[in-house]
Amino acid sequence: MKVGLFVTCLVDLVRPNIGFATLKLLEDAGCEVIVPATQTCCGQPGYNSGAREISQRLARKVLAEFKDCDYVVAPSGSCSGQVKIHYVQDLFRNAAESERIEFEKLSAKWFELSDFLVNVLKLTVLSSEFAAASFPGSITYHDSCAGLREINIKHQPRKLLARSGCNLIEMNDAEKCCGFGGTFSIKLGEISTRMADNKCVNIAVTGADAVIGGDLGCLMNIEGRLRRTGDAKTQVYHFAEVLAGMAK
Amino acid sequence: MFFKQTASVKLNDAVLQKALKNAKGKFVDGRAASVATIDNWEAIRTHAAALRDRVIDSLDAYLIEFEQKAVSRGAVVHWAETADEANAIIVKIARDNSVKTVTKSKSMVSEEVALNDALEAAGVTVLETDLGEYILQLAKEPPSHIVAPAVHKSKEQVAQLFVDHHHTPRLTDIAAMTREAREVLRSHFLAADMGISGANFVIAETGTTLTVTNEGNADMVTTIPRIHCVITGIEKVIPTLDDFATLMRLLPRSAIGQSITNYLTLTTGIKAADEQEGPEQMHIVLVDAGRTKLVGSEMSEMLRCIRCGACMNHCPVYQNVGGHAYGWVYPGPMGSVLTPVYKGIEDAGDLPNASTFCGECQVVCPVKIPLPDLMRKLREQQFDMKLRPASERWAIKVWGFFVSRPALYALAARIGARFAAWIGGRDRLIHTLPGIDGWTSGRDMPAPEGKTFRELYAARQIK
Amino acid sequence: MSARDHILARIRANAGKQGLTTAAELAAARHVINARERGPLPTFGQHDPLCHFIEECARLKTTLAEVDSLTEVPREVARYLSVVLGLTNQQVRIAGWPEFAPLDWSSVQIDYANRPAAASDLIGITGCFCAIGETGTLLLLGAHNTPKVTALLPETHICIVKKSRMVATMEDAFQLCRDELGELPRATFFVSGPSRTADIEQTIVIGAHGPYRVHVVLVS
Repeated sequence: MKVGLFVTCLVDLVRPNIGFATLKLLEDAGCEVIVPATQTCCGQPGYNSGAREISQRLARKVLAEFKDCDYVVAPSGSCSGQVKIHYVQDLFRNAAESERIEFEKLSAKWFELSDFLVNVLKLTVLSSEFAAASFPGSITYHDSCAGLREINIKHQPRKLLARSGCNLIEMNDAEKCCGFGGTFSIKLGEISTRMADNKCVNIAVTGADAVIGGDLGCLMNIEGRLRRTGDAKTQVYHFAEVLAGMAK
Repeated sequence: MFFKQTASVKLNDAVLQKALKNAKGKFVDGRAASVATIDNWEAIRTHAAALRDRVIDSLDAYLIEFEQKAVSRGAVVHWAETADEANAIIVKIARDNSVKTVTKSKSMVSEEVALNDALEAAGVTVLETDLGEYILQLAKEPPSHIVAPAVHKSKEQVAQLFVDHHHTPRLTDIAAMTREAREVLRSHFLAADMGISGANFVIAETGTTLTVTNEGNADMVTTIPRIHCVITGIEKVIPTLDDFATLMRLLPRSAIGQSITNYLTLTTGIKAADEQEGPEQMHIVLVDAGRTKLVGSEMSEMLRCIRCGACMNHCPVYQNVGGHAYGWVYPGPMGSVLTPVYKGIEDAGDLPNASTFCGECQVVCPVKIPLPDLMRKLREQQFDMKLRPASERWAIKVWGFFVSRPALYALAARIGARFAAWIGGRDRLIHTLPGIDGWTSGRDMPAPEGKTFRELYAARQIK
Repeated sequence: MSARDHILARIRANAGKQGLTTAAELAAARHVINARERGPLPTFGQHDPLCHFIEECARLKTTLAEVDSLTEVPREVARYLSVVLGLTNQQVRIAGWPEFAPLDWSSVQIDYANRPAAASDLIGITGCFCAIGETGTLLLLGAHNTPKVTALLPETHICIVKKSRMVATMEDAFQLCRDELGELPRATFFVSGPSRTADIEQTIVIGAHGPYRVHVVLVS
């Protein structure tokens, strides 16, 4: 099974560890993972800023890079939503049929990491790996918006984390936006900060040792607010890092 | 950039923050509980969205059918292309009939066109009778929510307004304040020359206009005065009474978590010769004021809107800044679409950007309006028309240049990651960084690890 | 061209349609209207609308009593006035619809005023066209002998509902209107419990501009 890894631009730049954790999870499960060297970004920052043409160009680039894979996996619900939903339903909805079909195929074989592990690889392959990789403390889980509402990522990461022996304490409003929203976090920073603050309060109430999520953007936003408000102890990880035993 | 500055003030308004927190719980939990009592919510939503689309696709035909029916029942139908025209029509009706006093039930279209100001300028006394609207009329403030207009006010503020205007002892109990307002307004209901109401829908089958209320004020306004005037938008027409029944399974649940509102007030034409109550004249003013711009456009789904307010109730941005930050009568995600369309994209400023695209609005919308997609389309218009600040446009251009050129991008990322890691220092946090001060003014930026995934992966492959 | 023509023309132009609205387009709209397609219904005990009506009334804070025949209504009303409003051993004036004027009110010390309620009336008695099980709703149709103000102005609204007039849904209620009246009357008024507001701090207060109490007397 040839699985393309879409690293995401944020993971590439800021936290390669998440990329390697994803790679480990996939390879341990017996996937032949290929990582196209030319990949950059799915185009979402431009798309959501109104730069439609650039985002179409990037979508074509992504398609070309992953055309030959049986599956594509990304450790992000947000980028996955962009590819699975927005490429097809918006950016290439009115494209020539041949091109539209190519994007529909890409959409069908593209999976967010936890969704891929649970619903394509069916968990069992991975269970032995997880036994050794449990996170020592308690965790709480933040549902990222695009993953949750665009491609239904909700139980998959929880299932995997439970398998790996994590003690999950649900926070209030786990599904509420953390305020990241890509460029929103900079353009309307004050509102974004307040939303992050609300999230941090809900995290603190659980008393969990770590907050886990599936999108690095949200995690950076939450961690940034935690640290600014003097919380140096609550750890912030992508679920891939926890599952792969690479939370460090 | 009106929104950003006002939002900043609102974030630091303690009374407002308390009110918003209180409202959020009630609206969000109330809706969820009430929606859960229906076992085919999604099927009803789908049907409702389709029936709204069907009307909008042939809006002219349904409006003509409605007009014909309404006229046959004795109503006069007026058409207004603009806010000014709508006001002129209603002022003329008032003048022609020597109207001195008007009681009014809540109408967002009347807020849109600033009808009260026009009537007051013509020497007509207007009294809002919805409790929330009445409070705001005393306070001389616009509504901050389309369903709960005074949601931003504390009971202490309301108590003070009543002391100032009713000249009665200060009350502390909400039920007592409500009774006082009832008693003050009762005599006005009975004496008014003209009643003005909005319409949640108008029905083509029967020529009916209707209002959905809990207080009973719309019933007074449409029953007691000798003239009833309805002001509403042209998109409010629905084909049949059965369609109304369908929409009523959605609207009160989405708006306030009730399976039905206490009153549904359907009015069709004028009173019969033998009736002791009811208006002698009924005027229906159908307002365009920007709505036709949406017809056939890439944002036509917005015309489905049934004004329930669920999008704002669930919007994390609205929940933190309240309705006044949006600068016009329609707040929240629906306002972020309607205001730019009705008032002009040139003046929309940050509104289409006042969303993280979290998608909650779309999930709760009873008629499935893809609000994030519509806001994104407005962002595309802003981008194409160069309406966003130069710095932002430049940033997108630079970004677009690099992400399209993998080799250059790899190099830039390599340098950027190292540089940012270096700024991050030992605690691996960037406390301030020019260009992203929107972020760093309230949060640290977790610093990159120092090397990019692509270089580490390449190194691993060589080994 | 009038504002009407401008608006209709703009709608058509933006929708990509030429010229004026055609007869065929109007016929198509009329076809949709006449088809009166019903939307999907939730499951709520349609088979026993009365039972559901009673449950919904409790939620709406509408109080309920059942009697076997119309002749028993005055005694039930007197009981309600005494137990709930504390009006005992005194002549009580009620404004009510003509339909119920012939009942024996004097034996229970009720002064039944056969006229529309005025602002000074504390209690109003009405019937209803039908009642709706799904939502616990009363449908009143305003006409010369069924004035709406009687259900609106007094602080207490007592509604006499014949069990035979119970329908399952709002759609059924509208169909009953069409079947029995041909067209919708001027004032079609759905009442679901006493009036309320939540406009101050989203705190629900019963009794806004309409009645504080709605009491239904179900008649077999």
